[in-house]
Amino acid sequence: MNQKLNNINEMKCQFLDENATYDFLKFLKGRSKVFAPHRKGEASYIYDEVSDVKDVVLQYPRTIQPLKKYFLPPRETLLSFNIDENNFTESEINVEPRIFFGIHAYEMEGVMRLDYTFEQGQPESNYLTRREQSTFIGISYEPDEYHFSKSLGIDIDSVDGFSLYFKKTDNGYYVYEIDAAGQQLMKEFGKGKRVDIPVTKEEPEFTNKIKYHYNRLPQIFEHVYDSKVWEEVAERCVGCGTCNLLCPTCYCFDVRDEVEINATEGKRERFWDGCMLNPFAEVAGNENFREKLSSRTRHRLYRKFKYITNKSGELHCVGCGRCSKYCPADISITKIINNLIDDYADRQQKQVI
Amino acid sequence: MENVVYEKKDLYYPVMSDILSVETLTAMEKRFQIAMPENQPLNHKPGQFVEVSLFGFGEAPISICSSPTRSPNFELTVRATGRLTDKMHMLEAGSRLGIRGPFGHGFDVDVFKGKDVLFVAGGIGLAPLKSLIDYTLDKREDFNKVKIIYGTKNPAEILFPKAIEEWRQKDDVEFDMTVDRADKSWKGNVGVITTIIPPLQLDVENTVVAVCGPPVMYRFVLMALKAKRIPDDNIYISLERRMKCGVGKCGHCQINDVYVCQDGPVFHYPHVKSLEEAI
Ligand SMILES: Cc1cc2nc3c(=O)[nH]c(=O)nc-3n(C[C@H](O)[C@H](O)[C@H](O)COP(=O)(O)OP(=O)(O)OC[C@H]3O[C@@H](n4cnc5c(N)ncnc54)[C@H](O)[C@@H]3O)c2cc1C
Ligand code: SF4
Ligand code: SF4
Ligand code: FES
Repeated sequence: MNQKLNNINEMKCQFLDENATYDFLKFLKGRSKVFAPHRKGEASYIYDEVSDVKDVVLQYPRTIQPLKKYFLPPRETLLSFNIDENNFTESEINVEPRIFFGIHAYEMEGVMRLDYTFEQGQPESNYLTRREQSTFIGISYEPDEYHFSKSLGIDIDSVDGFSLYFKKTDNGYYVYEIDAAGQQLMKEFGKGKRVDIPVTKEEPEFTNKIKYHYNRLPQIFEHVYDSKVWEEVAERCVGCGTCNLLCPTCYCFDVRDEVEINATEGKRERFWDGCMLNPFAEVAGNENFREKLSSRTRHRLYRKFKYITNKSGELHCVGCGRCSKYCPADISITKIINNLIDDYADRQQKQVI
Repeated sequence: MENVVYEKKDLYYPVMSDILSVETLTAMEKRFQIAMPENQPLNHKPGQFVEVSLFGFGEAPISICSSPTRSPNFELTVRATGRLTDKMHMLEAGSRLGIRGPFGHGFDVDVFKGKDVLFVAGGIGLAPLKSLIDYTLDKREDFNKVKIIYGTKNPAEILFPKAIEEWRQKDDVEFDMTVDRADKSWKGNVGVITTIIPPLQLDVENTVVAVCGPPVMYRFVLMALKAKRIPDDNIYISLERRMKCGVGKCGHCQINDVYVCQDGPVFHYPHVKSLEEAI
């Protein structure tokens, strides 16, 4: 899967300096709605619709919420009802062309994992309709102490899913045309300077790493279901669910009927939900099938590295680092995985002796 | 993703259906007979469920307790345990409610054909099993011996007394039941359901078992069946989990990597035995 820039011999490339990059954003805005990273407070970033291109941040570590909010909104009306008349009206989902600019490779991979989720089994029209008419333009970034996507096979320059890819260079960007739509955009924009330098620069290092190659992770997860690591993590976890809500590949939801004050009209709405939250697996009779934080943490990790992977063949963690950066208890997913690996290796060793 | 071929589906719109009749079964349970628009059959398999929708109260997964052999209408037996189910108990014949489904994987009736069939029902678990029991009785010649055992907390909670009386009368059905706590009028067995498993005369290799009951029941019933030397391969169980969507999307019903709303609620026991969170 992972197309890397260096592997694409025929890749067309142009240079845009920083000003031209903002001109390009203006050009995009002239065509459709554009969504891009914006500053939120001191050192936080969010995706937002671009109104003034000057507000767009080109270099940022990660946004707080992942891109999934545009395709699986945090709150979404499934239908509207009238209690007195006992009937409902369907929700119309209107999509228009949207361009998502300044997207990191792990984020794009996250969207593609969600695509899998909503296409397989019963293909869900709500998500799939919102997902249509989307164009993604990627950008390179400097990994911080939380990113570890490279350990999962996603390079900074992985370009799958993008139409264009902006690679930072001195005082500007090399812009790679990944697909026909991207090529068309650059042609119409017309201000790029053709260059034909192959990418030679080494990717910056990721300091945050998983000890084993990602191909081995599903196998590790065969053997760590009863590891002591789950209890160790659970001792600190407060069960707030932040790690679920901010994860680009988590998609579980709750559905609730919200009735208006007139007690007649209302909406059936779905909300992001998380398997780390206590009532998630509760049923009648106060039975809870995943009551302990250790079993909930395990479920979260198994969802990323085994359960869906067994079916889709892909890991469902993309290494964005959000769950670790925003965890109030400072729980790091890479530490959990590395501890699991150690525990596994320890036990293997004992078996040999 | 533009070149991927899939057919998008509207998964969350209910079909407004009519309640034809409501019958009070116990202090906690009522049975509803429901007709889809234009008397369309639901086309369900025994063991499947629907999502019942009441605007303002949400949705709840409820097993279909009637057999497809008795379509086009179908029946639901509902215990009042919370917001939606309490509201449902206030509805009368002539009201309408929303139905999505049928969902899930029901009993593979073909596996039961030609075999001795043993039904083990605990509490409200008799409702989902009744669909398969009635199916078996309606196609009686397709099956060998039929045995039904049923356990409930006390005599007042017996779900389908009329049907039970019929089963007792039939020559080709063996029925036995027990209550955890007897009252003055009760003359039958007293004790949990596992106490009436040991005396059963079973051709174990040729007996297929269908089990449904509250979560606590499974472990003990499965132990008792094991003691009877029933192979795991001959056992089918119906499991309950929290559900929000019924279509494999919301994640609530997961047991390890299994979605109860898709792969279940009826499972071949060897399939769930290995799942830590299942029983
Ligand atoms: C496959 C399946 C088949 C079922 N068949 C029947 C049936 O035939 N008859 C019947 O009476 N009940 C059945 N149930 C249980 C029924 O779905 C719940 O009792 C119902 O959802 C409770 O909804 P409520 O709004 O009345 O309760 P609430 O007010 O929502 O909650 C009351 C209690 O029910 C629990 N609960 C909430 N939602 C669910 C849920 N979706 N699944 C399980 N527990 C839940 C809560 O944790 C709480 O303890 C079935 C459940 C499943 C999963
Ligand atoms: S964010 Fe941290 S504390 Fe909150 S549920 Fe996740 S692991 Fe636990
Ligand atoms: S599990 Fe954590 S690091 Fe992995 S994709 Fe989700 S939020 Fe990012
Ligand atoms: S009920 Fe939603 S995934 Fe099974």
